[in-house]
Amino acid sequence: MTATDTEVRARTAIGHDAPRVDAVAKVTGAGQFAGDLKLHGMAYGRLLRSPYAHARIVGIDTNRAAALPGVIAVMTGDDVPAADPYYGHALKDRPILAIDRVRFAGEPVVAVAAEDPAIADEAVTLIDIIYEEMPTAVTIAAALADDAPHLHDVVNVRAGLFHGLGEIHLEPGNVCYHHAFARGDMDAVFAAADVVIAGEYTFPAVYQYSLEPHTTIAQWTGADDLTVWSSCQHPFLVRAELADLYALPVGAVRVVVPYLGGGFGSKSYTKMEPITSALARVAGRPVRIANSIDEAMVTTRRHGMKAFMRTAATRDGRLLAREVRAWFDTGAYADNGPRVVATGADAAPGPYRWEAVRVDAWGVYTNTSPAGSYRAFGASHLQWCGELQVDEIGRRCGLDALQMRERNLLSRGESVRPGGKPLDADLIGDIRKVAASLNWESPKPAGIVGRGMSVGLLAAGAHPVSTAAVRMEADGGVVLLVSSTEVGQGARTVFGQIVAEELALPLDRVRVLGGDTRVTPYDRSTGASRSTTIAGLAVQRAAADVRAQILAIGARLFDLPETALEIRAASVWHEGESVPYRDVLKAHFGMVGGELIGHGEVRPEKGSGSYAEGPVFWEVCIGGAEVVVDPETGRVTVTKAVSVADVGKAINPRLVEAQEMGGAMQGIGNALHEEMLFDETGTLLNATLYEYHVPTIADMPHTFASNIVENEDGPGPYGAKGVGEGALAGVAAAIATALADAGVIIDELPATPERVWRALRMHDDRNDEDSTGSAANERATGGAASWG
Amino acid sequence: MLEPFSMHQPRSAGEASAMLSHFGEDATVYAGGTELLVVMKERLAHFPHLIDIKRIPGLADITYDPERRELIIGSTARHRDLERSPLVRQWLPALAALEASVANVRVRAAGTIGGNLCFAEPHSDPATLLTALDARLTLTSASGTREIAMASFITGLMETNRRHDEILTSLAVPESGPRTGVAYERFKLHERPTAAVAALVTIESGTITDARIVAGSVGARPQRLPDAEAMLRGQSANESSAWLAADLIRMEVETTSDAFESEAYKRQLARTVGYRAIVAAIRQATGADGSRHAA
Repeated sequence: MTATDTEVRARTAIGHDAPRVDAVAKVTGAGQFAGDLKLHGMAYGRLLRSPYAHARIVGIDTNRAAALPGVIAVMTGDDVPAADPYYGHALKDRPILAIDRVRFAGEPVVAVAAEDPAIADEAVTLIDIIYEEMPTAVTIAAALADDAPHLHDVVNVRAGLFHGLGEIHLEPGNVCYHHAFARGDMDAVFAAADVVIAGEYTFPAVYQYSLEPHTTIAQWTGADDLTVWSSCQHPFLVRAELADLYALPVGAVRVVVPYLGGGFGSKSYTKMEPITSALARVAGRPVRIANSIDEAMVTTRRHGMKAFMRTAATRDGRLLAREVRAWFDTGAYADNGPRVVATGADAAPGPYRWEAVRVDAWGVYTNTSPAGSYRAFGASHLQWCGELQVDEIGRRCGLDALQMRERNLLSRGESVRPGGKPLDADLIGDIRKVAASLNWESPKPAGIVGRGMSVGLLAAGAHPVSTAAVRMEADGGVVLLVSSTEVGQGARTVFGQIVAEELALPLDRVRVLGGDTRVTPYDRSTGASRSTTIAGLAVQRAAADVRAQILAIGARLFDLPETALEIRAASVWHEGESVPYRDVLKAHFGMVGGELIGHGEVRPEKGSGSYAEGPVFWEVCIGGAEVVVDPETGRVTVTKAVSVADVGKAINPRLVEAQEMGGAMQGIGNALHEEMLFDETGTLLNATLYEYHVPTIADMPHTFASNIVENEDGPGPYGAKGVGEGALAGVAAAIATALADAGVIIDELPATPERVWRALRMHDDRNDEDSTGSAANERATGGAASWG
Repeated sequence: MLEPFSMHQPRSAGEASAMLSHFGEDATVYAGGTELLVVMKERLAHFPHLIDIKRIPGLADITYDPERRELIIGSTARHRDLERSPLVRQWLPALAALEASVANVRVRAAGTIGGNLCFAEPHSDPATLLTALDARLTLTSASGTREIAMASFITGLMETNRRHDEILTSLAVPESGPRTGVAYERFKLHERPTAAVAALVTIESGTITDARIVAGSVGARPQRLPDAEAMLRGQSANESSAWLAADLIRMEVETTSDAFESEAYKRQLARTVGYRAIVAAIRQATGADGSRHAA
């Protein structure tokens, strides 16, 4: 056995359910979140937000607020001390504070910093703003109408630092991004097809609903050194944008990320950091801004969508062609809209073999709160529509959902999209696991019961750049520096396991720090299921670097070639003889002190790593569901949810299952409950938990089956690939297909009880002219026995 | 965030009433605060003076009057007190069961029955059931005491017959008679119920002799449903009768519109929970559920 060959060395630290390294700190309250931090002299920021969805700002009078004792600074859009008052990583379309005009209800207009939060609250009530209302475009349809007001001068819009999706050429109007691709002779294939299914679909805006709302603290040291503590997922992208806003070198900006109370995309890219840093600069003091939940809900959300889709097939159920047109509501500012549109369009055909495909997708500005990333973005928007059509074709052709997928799914190595990575998973094997978990062949229980499955692919990994550093201290313990954010997914635990594995250390000898851009090395982002796969690979390489250094020193100590040595139990071994790491380091440095530093880097291995050449891996979005429908109320109960985590290698199976269950629960919320409701004036109507239904323990499926597939076919460490998003899209779509199986045809999510009830009535009306009366009579005569 | 206010803690209902008179519209009664403080925190209302009636001796007592066969519930008894009170469990098990499902345990531990009724939030669970139970409320002020039927106490959306200087001190809930079943059924999607129906049904020899049906949550206030009640009287106690009454509930119930559910759907839900409540009440009255009311 050679010590450098991890493939054959028995694995001890990975592949098992190591307890979370952050569990004790979190459950005891010792773990620090952004909201726990207090800096000396810190002021409290409060934002005055627009009550109007679209209005000109005629005048702002801040005198009374500024005169209130305890108020330190009052800042309007004119006072923002940035070199560039506009930001946006995709499109620089967003002012740090509204300039001349507001474009959604909830847009920050004035920021106040005060000695305490109560004074800040009081101060914003003393600000007078005169607005002149403008015509609004609150919905996609309104925004695309010929006479729609234009939210932005899109012709002159500037690309942000991370647009990365090609040249921007926009026509005047409200479209901020258009993504299209086509192959094959679609018209001819549709004309010749035996079966064509077409439909229009509506998908809701939802809030990501992390328990912790956005919290940011900013501190300037002089005019050219900015530190920001923030609940953000992508510290290095935030750093880059802040440096750009203030025309500073990136090294002048430091972004520190404590624990996050969830993110789900709501904390991806830049959110409250520009406004907080600007206010801190004006105030001359550190400033904290903490969103309340209702503020967080108008800070970011998922894109609502309208889509038209049609699918063609032969009469024996072979899929032929699909056409998709989809409009994504990105709200008043692009945020991550362009990438969501591109990813959604890419996923729209589904993982099937097509003779012809055409997809057009547009990002559309509306006068509502901005939309950005949400766990499984792209896949969740259109997978349910496509899977409903696959099943409907199956019903017309006499094939069930499993047969349709066995017949049409892509095989490993087949092209998913031209120029992109071929399929790197066994989808038919995966979908058979779903069927087995659903007892697919068994008779259904009595009542209105449906079973459904769904499968899709998500372009995962984002841009593959991560770095990590492993510092082995003189006592043989390790400090790992890696910038992936611990959002609750368990990244620190998994990274610790990887280091423990590579260096034959117990997990408790590995300390994993949180991201700090001045300390921990570069990592592109925490999202797109990339942390284990890409950052984890950098961690593995950094640890392997230290291992090589230990073995090199060990070779000198033993006077043997490195190949004669192995590492085990925090020691270097040759046959029965061992030297602990601390003695290896002592021999190297000559005294108790010094450290070995390992460096790990991941970057595109071929080409530029661009979106077009990607993805890093295809995340399998697969799920199954069994539902029971109450015909009287339309309430849907999920009796069974199934996920398949096609993860390559589960470094921590329990964390994989937890990710799957969390994703499935959000999928249940997305499919059945969650929906942000804006009224005709663009005001969010359900900004509280009274009216916005986040799934609770009462909504959990009665049983949840999580299948972990370990084909070691991923690009990450030990053949791992990412997990965590697939179940959300997969289970949500499976609930839609299960409802269709039960006879409830839904073309708008969420499938609320009222929508299900209405769908059942339409179903009844098709079968029976006088549905309600006869249904009641049937029941009445069914139970006429008296108990008296 | 709450704006500053002064809190006053009177030792008697008369003193509380005098304080309300003194401060006028600047003051309001503070009991559990589970609804009032939310409204104040959202700055939908502000009262510089809160009259905290929780320190008034005896105002949270729960007693049983064997002469009048009535449960007397002090207005500052908390939902949790009602849920766990042996007297309520014994004499009004339907109320005890309902109280165990009001909102969540934090609200139940702080919220009071009197505050709930006086706030007159249209989704109140207790208001609907207490209307069906023919509860009577006692209101006290410096000028005296008066009694008012629950059915006429709530006059509209968050509006009651309570005068500004009156304190709701207690409610008297008559024990439901023999061969009588009481049930409360609701449909809940969010924090608050979407539709609820309380049914009280008395049965003699297999025939319904009396019925009180009250719908809550779907309209501005709890509503007696006379058509459904009249239909049930004289009918056989069975599921067919319940369906016929439920169809009338759908037709006669008044609904209010909101952004979340349509009025047609609320009618449907009222019908469904109405059916379920009537059937449950019939089962209870006939002893089909094994309860103490078996004839």
